[in-house]
Amino acid sequence: MKKLLEIALGIVTSIGGFLEIGSMATAAQAGAAFHFQLVWAVVLGTICIIFLVEMAGRFAAISHHTIADGIRERFGFNVFLWPLLAILLINFMVMSAEIGGVAIALELATGIGFQWWALLVALLAWLFLWKGTFGLIEKGVSMLGLVTLCFVAGAVMLKPDWGQVAAGAVPTLPAHDRANYWFMAVSILGASISPYLFMFYSSGAIEDQWDRSYLGANRAIAFLGMTFGGTISIGVLIVAALVLPAHGIDQVDDYHQLPLMLIPVFGFWGFVLFVASLGIACFGAALEVGLQQAYLVAQGFGWTWGEDQKPRDNPGFSTVYTLSLFLSALPIAFGLDPLKLTIFSMALTAASLPLSVIPFLFLLNDERYVGKHRNGMISNAAVVFIIALGFVLAVVTIPLQIFGGT
Amino acid sequence: MDLVRDILDKQVVDREQVKIGKVDGLVAELRPGKPPRVAAIELGSITLARRLGRRPGRWMARLAAKLGGKDHGEPHRIAWNKVRDIGVDIEFDIDVRETAIFDWQNWLRDHVIGRIPGAG
Repeated sequence: MKKLLEIALGIVTSIGGFLEIGSMATAAQAGAAFHFQLVWAVVLGTICIIFLVEMAGRFAAISHHTIADGIRERFGFNVFLWPLLAILLINFMVMSAEIGGVAIALELATGIGFQWWALLVALLAWLFLWKGTFGLIEKGVSMLGLVTLCFVAGAVMLKPDWGQVAAGAVPTLPAHDRANYWFMAVSILGASISPYLFMFYSSGAIEDQWDRSYLGANRAIAFLGMTFGGTISIGVLIVAALVLPAHGIDQVDDYHQLPLMLIPVFGFWGFVLFVASLGIACFGAALEVGLQQAYLVAQGFGWTWGEDQKPRDNPGFSTVYTLSLFLSALPIAFGLDPLKLTIFSMALTAASLPLSVIPFLFLLNDERYVGKHRNGMISNAAVVFIIALGFVLAVVTIPLQIFGGT
Repeated sequence: MDLVRDILDKQVVDREQVKIGKVDGLVAELRPGKPPRVAAIELGSITLARRLGRRPGRWMARLAAKLGGKDHGEPHRIAWNKVRDIGVDIEFDIDVRETAIFDWQNWLRDHVIGRIPGAG
């Protein structure tokens, strides 16, 4: 019974972690521009993240190491430095985008420009990390994230042609704007396969003191949680595809266009739901990315870490999240467009995947860490596929950034 | 035991299980006519910088000495004979409070973190 409850909570948490500004913005853009044609990118990204999250949880439960610990220990400091720097940089941009997402929600709600909210949002997020416990952040905040289910409700109420949605799950070539199409596919993949998600998950498994009895729960949480998360993304895509072009928007390049999405379904409450979804989902993600920055540095250098300890007893750890939250708020406070930043950082995330995913191939096949719970053929094939995908994306992202970006 | 594989870069804890760092470096003692022996482990930014190259090592040593005083111009060392247990972490029979390893964290606590309301 306790395990079932934990699985349920884990799933809710994963949904909260999955849906953030990246997946919302990329899914909305894709739906508006290419109808259901990019559903496959969400499906593919979700399958990839299921595998990686399951492996991160299994690695932590069996070896009692987080992924960051594992990379440092297995490959040495000089190798560890590269994924460390890459993930710190990408997390910095993603966190900036999430703070931007909350700030936009506040702008939509109040009419006061988003840049004025950035530092306030950072301060509020910091207060949560400063005073809160891991349980509060993991469970409380992501429980609120369930409000994003309104996109699924909206998608169902709009009565899409489900046959067409299903047809979108098979990749096809677009009739127009090829470069833009592929750029969106890359951004969607980057938004779904976020390194912070699986790194955070492995830290969470250690914070919650998982052992091998959690292997089944881990599998269920990874599969169901990420599937639900992906379902909400598809919900966003469907709603965007059915609503935005009908109002003459086939190119989402301004976040002011987005609240329109839910209004035809829910009326005024659609506006409220959109603002709440955006604000809560991005706030939860900002908390998780902020914590992940501190986890990564503390684990990489062997300092004490843990969200349940008082900042006084954990000065290095709390300094890292304090600094990274406020630094990430600066670009938004200076007026950088959160939507552009989001799309850019999602594409860059996709390109960075080889650096953060190659270690999985070694760690999850090393008996000294995972004993007999090594990767099977399918899991290894998935890792190799994600690495190859990452390499291709790294090569195509840069030219697409120039020719296809909005 | 393979030193680089099994010791280097592992988590180090003191006898109270406080995480104090990683095994950033190993100090081997060369003995004439006999195989070398591990004498100590090293921790800290200077050792890490030395792993990246001689020049980063020198820069970091100079920086550390400037920020932390002369006794911080050398890496922290823990004698190998203090090792108590090698498992997920490597436990040494020391108390981190009696070393200079946490000086920078203590400084942070006393001058920055501890002064912010609600630090506990």
